[in-house]
Amino acid sequence: MPTAPVIETQALTKVFGAQRALDGVNLTVAPGAIGLLGPNGAGKSTFMKCLLQLQPITSGTAKLLGREVGREGREIRKRVGYTPEQDCHIPGMAGCEYVTYCAQLCGLPFQAARQRAHEMLDFVGMGQERYRKADTYSTGMRQRLKLAQAIVHDPEIVFLDEPTNGLDPKGQAQILELVQSLWKTYGITVVVSSHLLQDVDKICEQIIIIARGRVLVHDTLENLKARKRGAAEVVMSAGHLDLQAACARRSWPCEVLPNGHLKIEHKAESLNPLLTVLHELKLVPLEIIPSPNALEETFVQALEISHAAA
Amino acid sequence: MPLHDTSYQHWDGVHLGLWRRRWAIAWTGLTAALQNKWIQHLVALCWCGGLAMIALLFFVGQLLVEDSIIVQWVGNLNPELQGFVRMFTSWLEQHPEVSVRTTQDVLFYFFGIFLMALSIFVLGMALPQFITRDLASNAIIIYSSKAVSRGDYLLGKFAAAFGLLVLTWLGPVCTAWLVGNLLAPDWRFFWHARVPLLHALVFGLSSMCILSALVLGVSATSSKEKSTISLWYTWWILGGVVVPIAAHTQPWLRHLSFNFNLNQIALAVFRLGDDLKIAQDNVPVLGPMLSNIRPDTMRALTSPAIGGALVGLLLMTGLAAVVVGKRVKPE
Repeated sequence: MPTAPVIETQALTKVFGAQRALDGVNLTVAPGAIGLLGPNGAGKSTFMKCLLQLQPITSGTAKLLGREVGREGREIRKRVGYTPEQDCHIPGMAGCEYVTYCAQLCGLPFQAARQRAHEMLDFVGMGQERYRKADTYSTGMRQRLKLAQAIVHDPEIVFLDEPTNGLDPKGQAQILELVQSLWKTYGITVVVSSHLLQDVDKICEQIIIIARGRVLVHDTLENLKARKRGAAEVVMSAGHLDLQAACARRSWPCEVLPNGHLKIEHKAESLNPLLTVLHELKLVPLEIIPSPNALEETFVQALEISHAAA
Repeated sequence: MPLHDTSYQHWDGVHLGLWRRRWAIAWTGLTAALQNKWIQHLVALCWCGGLAMIALLFFVGQLLVEDSIIVQWVGNLNPELQGFVRMFTSWLEQHPEVSVRTTQDVLFYFFGIFLMALSIFVLGMALPQFITRDLASNAIIIYSSKAVSRGDYLLGKFAAAFGLLVLTWLGPVCTAWLVGNLLAPDWRFFWHARVPLLHALVFGLSSMCILSALVLGVSATSSKEKSTISLWYTWWILGGVVVPIAAHTQPWLRHLSFNFNLNQIALAVFRLGDDLKIAQDNVPVLGPMLSNIRPDTMRALTSPAIGGALVGLLLMTGLAAVVVGKRVKPE
């Protein structure tokens, strides 16, 4: 797996009229599955577009895959994939034609482009519908098509802007699984921009939280969760009351969540005290989720600090 | 369950150069335009015009072959026409270097004007394929995120429009010239006809470049197909209506019509007035026939308003470039 930084920015600024969409962003991002989080209008998409040269940078510098953005645009984009948030198919083209064409735009010879297009459509799980015009596709198929066109030229990094928008839970899970495999199995760095925390939580290792055009948090998900240790979500089939009573005796706040799980604040760095209690009560939990909602709490906290500073 | 491997495969082939990527844009644009059945029919009509031109050139050539069917057929015409054809034939025999050039110049001028009108019509039908649909579907962002720049995209689209014009205009002209002279009774026809070919190419290529730029500009004005198509045809038709009216009131208004401006370029390139004068001097029968031409028309043929036409086309092309520059952006 490569280790050199994939994204490096220094004082990256983008201004739209009176609004600063990006305000002096300094980042050095290692390869991996990277989640770009932020509320709507935070500057996530603008950050991606500046890196891809879809928006000109107002000031500052940015490097993508070691090359300077703005000077080596074509060379960078040859090694980068991108799925925009909105629909972007070419009207009148069938799915496989569209993906083939996108591969040709990246410099693949026609035969190789056509073969790669079919391979990628297989990979994203599109069947015979690939021969239909893309205008007739459902939202789920369009998302798959967008992913296929982004990876057809075998990029080193893929930017996905809200990849699960408009998908049903099953479709979301399938797309997230595919995206996750891109880094974990095939070593392609993935940058996922989303306002859906659970999506990012499932597939990303690094988190960048952006709000008001500034980077509030940039850390690994593991570190973020470590900061929020001291709580756990326990899934039980029986013995809820016993566990609640045991927690009360130890002054551990315990809450029954709407899904029936117990959220226990054991206030310890590790899960050992909680496991001891369960052992004493001879209870066997179905699942223990350490640091649940760590990402959400970090996100909310970061936003609150940002608002207070503003 | 799929019978083959559906996992992700890395690709380690060699990337093609920039010109091949531009070619892919052009080829895709052209093939998309040619999927329209009406465009297919119109392209076929242009080539039928080419065949008619070949037949005409063959007819002229056969006048020099004593025992040809054409000569026998001419013998059955009325005396006036027979006189004209005989004089024309003797001119062809005595001064082929002038007569072939002049005749083909006149023929290729009218053929060029005919093909230009058809080409403008075809461009109007294909217009949404160039930029309008990409604007409507956000496809511009996909081009911008690939290894092509905005310039590459526009060059590819320009080439698509130009390619369509090659099919409707340059192709039939070159084929007609080649086959028409191949069927001539003497190989020297090729040499004598070099100037008409040059004129046809200069007029054709310059007009095709201008029309391609204009059509991209109009195509970029809106993301609605009906709007851009209407704008193109309205500009063309309205221009045609304004020209005769403006000729007697405000002559500069004529230059608002791109069709008129291109016609002036054609007249300047082919020098039709000079050709008619040469023909009149050498085929005396033509004298009374041409004397019926109105002085205004004759003046227009001999001294086209080339300055105004060039300025008009330059401004139009500049305007098209501004529209394209403003509208064709990733966002």
